[in-house]
Amino acid sequence: MYTKEVTIRNATGLHARPASEFINCAKKFQSTLKIRRKEGPAAKSDNAKSMITLLTLALACGEVVEIVGDGADEAEAVDALVALIEGGFGEL
Amino acid sequence: MKYLGTPASEGIAIGKVFRYFPYIPVIDPTPVSDEAVEAEGQRYRAAFEQVHGRIETIIEKRAGTEQAEIFQAHLDILEDDTLSDEILEAIAANMNAAQAVDLVYTQYAEVLAAVQDELIAQRAADMMDLRLQLLCALEGKEGADLSQISEPVILVTHDLMPSDTGALDPDMILGIVTEIGGITSHSAIIARSHGIPALFDVENACEKLADGEIVILDARDGILQTEPTAEQFVAYTEKKQQLDQQREEERTYLDVAATTREGDRVSVLLNIGSADEDLDFASHVDGVGLFRTEFLYMGREDLPDEEEQYRLYKKVFEAFAPNPVTLRTLDIGGDKEVRALDLPKEENPFLGNRALRLCFEREEMFLTQLRAVLRASVHGNLKLMFPMVSGLEDLRRAKDLLEKAKEQLRQKGETWNPDLRVGTMIEIPALAVMADLLVKEVDFASIGTNDLTQYTLAVDRVNPAVSHYYQNFNPAVIRLLNYAVTTFRSAGKDISVCGEMGGDRIASVALLGMGIRSLSMGRSSVAAIKKIVCTLDMEQARRSVESACGFATAAEVKSTFQALL
Repeated sequence: MYTKEVTIRNATGLHARPASEFINCAKKFQSTLKIRRKEGPAAKSDNAKSMITLLTLALACGEVVEIVGDGADEAEAVDALVALIEGGFGEL
Repeated sequence: MKYLGTPASEGIAIGKVFRYFPYIPVIDPTPVSDEAVEAEGQRYRAAFEQVHGRIETIIEKRAGTEQAEIFQAHLDILEDDTLSDEILEAIAANMNAAQAVDLVYTQYAEVLAAVQDELIAQRAADMMDLRLQLLCALEGKEGADLSQISEPVILVTHDLMPSDTGALDPDMILGIVTEIGGITSHSAIIARSHGIPALFDVENACEKLADGEIVILDARDGILQTEPTAEQFVAYTEKKQQLDQQREEERTYLDVAATTREGDRVSVLLNIGSADEDLDFASHVDGVGLFRTEFLYMGREDLPDEEEQYRLYKKVFEAFAPNPVTLRTLDIGGDKEVRALDLPKEENPFLGNRALRLCFEREEMFLTQLRAVLRASVHGNLKLMFPMVSGLEDLRRAKDLLEKAKEQLRQKGETWNPDLRVGTMIEIPALAVMADLLVKEVDFASIGTNDLTQYTLAVDRVNPAVSHYYQNFNPAVIRLLNYAVTTFRSAGKDISVCGEMGGDRIASVALLGMGIRSLSMGRSSVAAIKKIVCTLDMEQARRSVESACGFATAAEVKSTFQALL
C-alpha cells in the first residue's frame, strides 16, 4: 500500500478532459488505485480507474485528494497520478 | 391540418411518415435466489457484450464523424469498472440483472445531471441511453433499431436517443419530428450535422400522424403540414429545391471576412450562452456580440462565486481573443427561475424586477459578477454590457457600481484591462428614444430586438394568443431602430444588433441599410448573413430603409427588404 496527498491545481478541476487524461494514465498500471476527497463527504466509489467515479467526485481547484495504490507497481502509479495533478493538465 | 413545433435543424422535407415507438422496458422486481445469482451475473455480462459489440460496429461504420465521438463516449461509460462492479454487487445481493442495471445507471445519471458542468451533465443522458440498451439486451429485445428502414421517410417519434440516431441511415431519413426534445440535445446535433430538417416539440405527433401518410415538414417556420393540397405540394417542392441550392451557396461564405461591395467591413459575431458550446466556432466569426451569463446562475441551489465566474469568463475571453467578447451582465428574474434567489412570483414578469433592476437590489451579487468580469478582462478583449437599462439614471448607477468593484479589486491588489469598453443593451423603447443623450455616456450599444419589439408593441412574445402582434418589421420598430442606429453612427460610436433580427436574412438587409456594421447571431446563421453582407446592394438597402419608415404596415416593410435578397 502506497499513499500520497495532492492538491488539485488546474482551474477547471478534474472535469471532462483532465478526468479522461487521469483515467488513461491510471489504466496503464496493474495496481488497484483509489482516489478520495480528503475533506467533505465520502463518495460511494473510489476507483481511480473509473470515469464515472471521477466525474461524480467533481473535484474542484484547491481541493485535496488522497491517492492510494495497492499492487506490484503501486508507487510508480501513485507518483505518476500525483505528477499529473501537480502538472495541472496543461492548464497552469 | 397544420401542427406547430420548434425548428431544431433547418430545412424542408416532404415524404412518408414512419412512426417509431422505442421499446419501453418494464422492470420486474422479482429477486433471484442464491443459487441463481451466478447465472444472473452471466446474463448481465452477456448483455454487456452484446451492447458493447453493437456500439463498436457503429463506431467503425461512422469513423471520423461527430457520431463516432458520441459513441466512443458511450463505450467509455459502458466499460467503466465502477458501474459493472456495482451492478454485479447488487446481483450478488439477490437483485435481478435488469433491476441492478436500472438502479446503478439511474443513480449515477442523477448525480452527473446535478454537476455544474454542461459537458458532464450531458453524460447523464448518455447513461440513460446505455441503461435502455442494456435492458433491451437483457430482455432479448432488439430495442433501438432503426436500421430496418428501407425507403426514405420522415421519422416521427416521442424522443430520440443517440443510439437511435446512430443506428439510422442518414440517407433514409428525410426529416425528423419529435414530441419532445431540446434543440441543443444530441439528436439536434446529429440532425444538423447531416443536414436533416428536424422539428421538435410537436405535441402528440405519434397519435396525430399515421404511418405512410404524406406530410410536409417545414423546419424553418416550424410547421408540420398534413394532407397537403396539390398547390402546397408544388409550392413546397419548389421551395425545398431553392432552399437546398441556397444553402449550398451560402456554405461557401462561412470563412470569408464579411465586407460590403462598398468596401465596409462588417463584424459577424456570435451569440453564446455558455462557456463550452460554440467555442470551437471562434475561427468563423469576428468575436462574440452577446455572451449571456445566466447559465451560471440557473439550475443550482447557490450563487456562483467570484472564482468560478472568473475561470469561465477567462476561458471564453481566451477562446475568442484577440476578437472582442461582449459580456452581458446577469439578465434574470421574472420568468427565469433562480433557486438561490428565491424570487417572488410576479404578475407581469417582463415588466418587473429583472436584470439590472434586480442587480441593483442584490448589490453584493452584482459586485461579485463585476469583479469576476474585471479580473478576467486581462485575458482577452472585453466589452461589458448592461441589460434592461431604462434610462440614463440606470446607466450611471451601473457605472458607479462598476467603479466600486474596481475599488474593491484595487484594495486587493488585483488588476483589470483599463481599455475595457462599457455599453448597454437597447431593448427598452425609452432608452432608444434617448439615444442622443445615451451615446455621450457609453462606448457602444447593442440592440436586443426581441425585447425591443415586445415592449414597443406591448405584446407578450410567449403568449400564442397575441403572437401575430409580435412583428419585427412593424414600421414603429423600424423607425425606432433607425433612430438609434443613425444617432450612434453619426456620433461615431459602435452599435450592433444581437436579437433574433441580427441573424435573420430579411432583417439583416434592413439593419445594414440603416448603417449597422456589426451583427450578432447563432452559429447556424453565420454563413447566410456573411453572404448577404458581401452581395447586398447597399445603396438600394439605404433607400428601402427610407421608404420603410414611411410605410403603414409590417407586411409592406418586410416585402420591401425581402425584394433585395
